[in-house]
Amino acid sequence: MHEEFAASLLHQDDQVYPQIKGQTDEEKHVRFNVYRNNVFVSLIDALADIFPVTQQLVGDEFFRAMAREFVQSNLPTSPVISDYGQGFADFIRSFTPADSVPFLADMAALEQQLLTLTHTAEYPTLDHEQISMAFAQVANPGTLQLSLLPSTQVVVSNFAIGSLYLAHKNQQHSTIATLTLNTHESMLLAKSGLYAELRVISPAKVVFIKRLLEGRALGDAIPDDEHFDLGASLAKLIEWRLLTHIN
Amino acid sequence: MPSFAQPSQDATASSGFLSSSGVSLKPAYYHEILNTLPALGFFEIHAENYLSQGGPARHYLYKIREQYEITAHGVGLSIGGERLLDKTHLARVVQLVNDLQPAVFSEHLAWSTHDQGFFNDLLPVAYDESTLQRVCDHIDQLQNALQRQVLIENPATYFEFNHSDLSEIDFIAAMVKRSGCGLLLDINNVEVSCFNRQADPYDYLDTFPTEAVGQIHLAGHTLDPNPSVPLKIDSHDQAVCDQVWALYEHALAHMGDRPTLIERDGNLPPFEQLLAEVQQANQVRSRIRRGQHHA
Repeated sequence: MHEEFAASLLHQDDQVYPQIKGQTDEEKHVRFNVYRNNVFVSLIDALADIFPVTQQLVGDEFFRAMAREFVQSNLPTSPVISDYGQGFADFIRSFTPADSVPFLADMAALEQQLLTLTHTAEYPTLDHEQISMAFAQVANPGTLQLSLLPSTQVVVSNFAIGSLYLAHKNQQHSTIATLTLNTHESMLLAKSGLYAELRVISPAKVVFIKRLLEGRALGDAIPDDEHFDLGASLAKLIEWRLLTHIN
Repeated sequence: MPSFAQPSQDATASSGFLSSSGVSLKPAYYHEILNTLPALGFFEIHAENYLSQGGPARHYLYKIREQYEITAHGVGLSIGGERLLDKTHLARVVQLVNDLQPAVFSEHLAWSTHDQGFFNDLLPVAYDESTLQRVCDHIDQLQNALQRQVLIENPATYFEFNHSDLSEIDFIAAMVKRSGCGLLLDINNVEVSCFNRQADPYDYLDTFPTEAVGQIHLAGHTLDPNPSVPLKIDSHDQAVCDQVWALYEHALAHMGDRPTLIERDGNLPPFEQLLAEVQQANQVRSRIRRGQHHA
């Protein structure tokens, strides 16, 4: 019985109408439409909450039309609505009307990743004093192993979506207008407080952080790159509260 | 009929939940609540919004739990669904209830999940024997998992099924008897559903199995703009209206005082407005308690 109901909800057909009390088909339609409307509006609103920057990039009307198409063939698989939208970035990639915004799918993937990260458990990190002590205790700091928050991720995009995301989030409208978007960008995603945070980082820092995440010792993680500044990079890891252990 | 511990009157006799009304917990209010510690009985959460391992919602909920009682309201278990409750989801809800020890866990007489996925809405069930048995099986599954009695809420509906052969009241009464669940009486849903099927909400309240009611919801609704069939929509985005306040007073006069929630999910007003509605509910409850005392 729910089969017909579900099909009529999603596909605007009337196979459920014989089950509904009403004088006319028009009355049945109006009554059933309350549920149709609730389902679509609530799920489109949920996507708008999860992908606010994606929405800003294309505007409300375009976003809601695109989201409606997604909802129709991609209902949430869990009642935990903050987990919704896993396939949204891939859907955008194949959604032809969005082709004129080539970085839209990457932005959606980024927003999804940040939200998922925000919902992971909090994890204690080392403070300034603990880090200084660890460094003071060894003769050769190059042998130290620096462990980063296990959820730390490095993302590389063909577009400057990290800068674009931050400019939208901080409502820097003048920055948005001057951004060069058609350029590679590397980003660090990490959660050291209640929320995941995004930082745009240099390609050399990407190599450094990836090597630390692989478990290499500090001396072995330093990239062969004249622009890399070890002191400044370590200072950032400390400032961003990414270190969990030093052995 | 299985027997579970009901929300303990003794353990919570001096607490807020039984004596003072509460409001829905929304992220927009977290800071104000923690900074001002407003005088109210409890906060109600939607369980599905608090199932993550970390993040701000969970953090602020547990801070607020240190100061207040909490009631947990499930919106996604799909009690009226055609398949057994999702075990993975149920396990997460059980974990939340164990961690949080809410005064009440409630769910809806509705379904929301089918083979295609989760519809994020409370969809109506037919009132017949096979649905009754299925709903009771699912309530059993839930009560066994939580090891406590749950309250089931009367629905807001926009049509009736042709093949319903029980009234909503008879269905709910049989559900209580067969499953041992309690009831959450949503007075706004009574107004909305009765309006939408042109029934008398006072008759509904007078025949409702009120002895099983463990909590009341009060909320606001809107009028659907379609021109052909007048419908009220259970939108939770307005203040409680005068008709619902009048029904509330009538219901309490009939069954005595009950813990009460001001339920608000959208178009969120300044928090003081919700507190004023809490006070209005508390005034009705005080009058009822005084009346009972003198009787």
